[in-house]
Amino acid sequence: MKMTTFAAIDIGAYEIVMKIFEISAKNGMKEIDCIRQRTELGADTYAFGYISYDKIESLCRILTEFRTIMEGYRVDVYRACGKSALRETSNILLILEQIKSKTGLHVDILSNSEHRFIKYKSIAFQETEFLKMIEKPTAIADVGEGSLQISLFNKECLVTTQNIRMGTMRLREKLSGMEEKTSDLSGMAEELMSSELFNFRKLFLKDKEIKNLIVLGSFLPKIIKKANNGEPSFYLSKDALMAELESYRRKDPESIAEELEISPDVSELLNQSIAVYRSLIGGMDVEEIWAPSLSLCEGLAYEYAEQNHYLKNPHNFENDILAAGKNIAKRYMCNTKHAEVVENFAMILFDGLKGVHDMGKRERLLLRLAAQLHSCGKYISMSYSAECTYNIIASTEIIGLSHTEREIVANVAKYNTMEFPDYKELAANLQSADYLTVAKLTAILRIANEMDKGHRQKFKSVKTVLKKDVLTVTINSAQNMTLEIGMMDDKRKFFENVFGVKLLIKQKIKQ
Amino acid sequence: MEEYKGLLSPEYYYNRELSWLLFNDRILNEARDRTIPLFERLKFLSITASNLDEFFMIRVASLKDMVNVKYNKPDIAGMRPQEQLAAINEKAKEMVTAQYNTYNRSLLPALRAAGLNVVTSHKNLTKEQKHFVDQYFLEVVYPVLTPMAVDSSRPFPLIRNKSLNIGAVITKDKETQMATVQVPSVLERIVEIPGEKNVVTVILLEEIIMRNIQQLFLNYKIECAYPYRIMRNADLTIDEDEAADLLKEIQKQIKKRQWGEVIRLEVAEDMDKRMLKWLRRELSVREEDIFRISGPLDLTFLMKMYGLPGFEELKAEKNKPAPVPEMQGEGDIFSKIRKQDILLHHPYQSFDPVVDFVREAARDAQVMAIKQTLYRVSGNSPIIAALALAAENGKQVTVLVELKARFDEENNIVWAKMLEKAGCHVIYGLVGLKTHSKITLVVRREEDGIRRYVHLGTGNYNDSTAKLYTDMGLLTCSEAIGEDATAVFNMISGYSEPPSWNKLYLAPLWLRERFVKLIRREAKNAKEGKEAKIIAKMNSLCDREIISELYAASAAGVKIELIVRGICCLKVGIPGVSDNISVRSIVGNFLEHSRIFYFENGGAPKVYMGSADWMPRNLDKRVEILFPVEDKRLKNEVIHILDILLADTLKAHILQPDGSYAKQDLRGKTRLCAQEYFVKEAQERVPADRNPIRDRVFVPEEPVELQ
Repeated sequence: MKMTTFAAIDIGAYEIVMKIFEISAKNGMKEIDCIRQRTELGADTYAFGYISYDKIESLCRILTEFRTIMEGYRVDVYRACGKSALRETSNILLILEQIKSKTGLHVDILSNSEHRFIKYKSIAFQETEFLKMIEKPTAIADVGEGSLQISLFNKECLVTTQNIRMGTMRLREKLSGMEEKTSDLSGMAEELMSSELFNFRKLFLKDKEIKNLIVLGSFLPKIIKKANNGEPSFYLSKDALMAELESYRRKDPESIAEELEISPDVSELLNQSIAVYRSLIGGMDVEEIWAPSLSLCEGLAYEYAEQNHYLKNPHNFENDILAAGKNIAKRYMCNTKHAEVVENFAMILFDGLKGVHDMGKRERLLLRLAAQLHSCGKYISMSYSAECTYNIIASTEIIGLSHTEREIVANVAKYNTMEFPDYKELAANLQSADYLTVAKLTAILRIANEMDKGHRQKFKSVKTVLKKDVLTVTINSAQNMTLEIGMMDDKRKFFENVFGVKLLIKQKIKQ
Repeated sequence: MEEYKGLLSPEYYYNRELSWLLFNDRILNEARDRTIPLFERLKFLSITASNLDEFFMIRVASLKDMVNVKYNKPDIAGMRPQEQLAAINEKAKEMVTAQYNTYNRSLLPALRAAGLNVVTSHKNLTKEQKHFVDQYFLEVVYPVLTPMAVDSSRPFPLIRNKSLNIGAVITKDKETQMATVQVPSVLERIVEIPGEKNVVTVILLEEIIMRNIQQLFLNYKIECAYPYRIMRNADLTIDEDEAADLLKEIQKQIKKRQWGEVIRLEVAEDMDKRMLKWLRRELSVREEDIFRISGPLDLTFLMKMYGLPGFEELKAEKNKPAPVPEMQGEGDIFSKIRKQDILLHHPYQSFDPVVDFVREAARDAQVMAIKQTLYRVSGNSPIIAALALAAENGKQVTVLVELKARFDEENNIVWAKMLEKAGCHVIYGLVGLKTHSKITLVVRREEDGIRRYVHLGTGNYNDSTAKLYTDMGLLTCSEAIGEDATAVFNMISGYSEPPSWNKLYLAPLWLRERFVKLIRREAKNAKEGKEAKIIAKMNSLCDREIISELYAASAAGVKIELIVRGICCLKVGIPGVSDNISVRSIVGNFLEHSRIFYFENGGAPKVYMGSADWMPRNLDKRVEILFPVEDKRLKNEVIHILDILLADTLKAHILQPDGSYAKQDLRGKTRLCAQEYFVKEAQERVPADRNPIRDRVFVPEEPVELQ
């Protein structure tokens, strides 16, 4: 039986966790060990913006120990990831270099959306529960130490996601020094959190009806289990959960920890967590809450299992990304009909160039997204729409896209209308391979966009034939396309430069 | 918890030290029991002596420390340290008197009748014997003696803890001086000398030295010579927070131990007054700490006497641990454990499966890691050798060696270093906690993934004591327990506690709470009119909270049967408080050591075993593991064991409402000795050997299972 022993390392703000999994097609994924060591990297990052020497030392020591444990289990593959506590430090490059030289381990720094997406994947892998939940409008809230991520589902697709930079540990750092001024620190934390959530609700929730809430939070599964009288069920109605959370008010963390059978040394952030749960759940008009016990480590393992064809995820994440794209397009009042035409045309070109462009499914998805969003900047400014488009995309979180991917989409949309720059201009944000992807996708998008220049959706169908370095595009349209075909000379030139393929556009008039 | 408050008052509790002395009394009773083979009685007497030594070195020393630092908090029974010391002193002296009465009046004459003549004084030697011992002295003893005279220029030498010495008053030119010489511990204390035909005649080494003491101080006149022995404060308290390097600190402490304050001085009853005064002054001993002994000091030599060749008919039949039926047959130990969970009952059943478990793991190609906690290890331990071999074979071996195991530190440091050299990852205990749990985890990569094999026990991984201590063990590959075992070792290695535990309860984390919950559940069931019962077997019971919970449960109507070998601070028969509680202590050939807990749970009994007693130190200051026995077959077996222990009529002493222990009136009762019963039962359960040569039907070998 083919089996992989996989180690997932999650370098968090509060602790460093390694989980060892066995992954096989037959047995799926099985956790065989979980090693956790507390090191508050976040306390440094969130307060000072960099991680001190001592903490880096202990991080390296722990990772070296983890490496030994991995050897003990004869781990085949590992993935170690850092999140906001590492991402937000000013000395991150030095830290990664030190980790590499001292432990031999490579650590990936996840962008927020990558991090949340991986966790979201782990939820989606809980097939039965997840699919049942999202039958109704659902929100997922991922309570982290650095921030809180809320994503909304509609019609079984994830449509929007927002990051609220207020997590349990950041709350503690914010309120440090307030202990002497109040006897109800937890109440204060709740107030602070509620004010952060107020804006979110106003902007994103006001016209939405949310029925179910999925929460990822370290202590919530235990709280729900307790409320369910120890039964291993992680579902609870909002009212019952709020009553349970209310019962902890003004209790000290030690006694809550004892009630919940949580080890006192991990209960440090218990009060802040409960404050977040209270303000989050209390402020949403939901019926049922599901709090599965999942973390980044599970997500990393699921992702590996999926990529290596051990497991198949029942949920289509591409649809999520496209649905999110549509949602953004709607928000910035893009011409959806035009966008759709451009998208379709772009896809036909992309597929027609198969064998030439050396790109895959993922790039195709990025192109679709760029097509959907290529004109969103017009919402801000008609004259500087390209730059605005870039800015909107680059600063909007699309769950499921990595930081680089989002950068690619934003650039493709931008250079759709602007002159395509030299690599050195983009080198700060893109590696050369990504630059090439941007060039290829831009070349395609430009042609597609040009074909619906008048936004009048003139053609019915399009066919492509690639023969001897010539791509012939036949457009079936009853209307006059001279404007579109005639105006695209410079775009065509760019296209031909990028692909080394001649582009021949023909119109076929057929009723 | 209003209702419990009254149950905490001191009048409901016994002092633990006095209760311990009663336990030693029960052993002494065995030494006095004429129905027991004579040489076994010697052994019991020897045990009372070594027990008492340890008791003084640790408990009495600790109380003395308290008095010295003016710590005046009363104990569970309301006694302050000074009061406890006074009471202990009185009882201990009574005990010593009883020990020597037993030795002089009962054992010596019986030995003589049985053909072993112990010459009690060198003055009683025959001419021929005198010649023999003098010769022996010159040739064997004299070379290793270091006599020391004491005067103004030569200060009083260091007298080693627990060593036997001879003090002498010597004079030269009318000037009196004191001298001392240690009876060498490298020589046998019992020396066989010529005597009557068919009688083995022996004399103690100190008598030979006293007879020849003149040889040591040639220019002096010997006025008199007497043996004496001291006991020092040996309680090892390490401030772990301050010890930067625990290992070094302990090594330092061991050296220091010989220098501890003298807390007991044993002298010959008729010792010369001048000498006694001199010893008192030089050793700074208080009058009440002097024990005047009418017989040979340090009765632990009786254990050696037990070992004298011959006299087999005067000893109990030697127990030969029976093989474990589930372990027989072809196949490796792992396939046997996969077939079923295996319960081990030592010493009735062999300890070999435990040693084999580690040994096979060390050699098995599929085993990736072995993790084990070691508390007390035997000299030349096969387990240590197997662990070292495993590391050499490239397995990841993690061993926690508890350096704080009392009196075993020196031994453990040696093993720990050896293991480290072999490539094991050695953890030298945890700061502030003693690791007392007994757990072994073997991680094996099999066809369908990683499988964990776990051994959990109530006794130490010590193949020598496993022949003498009654203990239980469980071999399992249950996933839930395997996961927990992994978590235990992660915690021991300094990582955080897992979010939840499946089956195991760990002290000092959750064990106390769990016991309280289990007891309260019985009380609740009793109140609701359901069946409610607790049976608990342990070595000591002295935790105030647990006892008060037991009182409350008893008051609620729970039937509680306790089998407590040693200290028991709980009182039986208090009306309305403990009328439903019975306590029995089994003192037999084997040392009762297993900890088993049974809770009726409204008709769906829960059975647990573990390493912890109901003592504060076990529940609060040690890493202990309580594990459930859930397999129905094994659970019934454990319940059967408890039933037999409760049915013992020969070796069980029952705690009386007045605090004394009494054996049962046998009239109308079946005579049953649980330990003998288990010996027989274990032997009977071994399947009869097939003799392949004589058998008419050939049996094809089963194919070897390939992984």
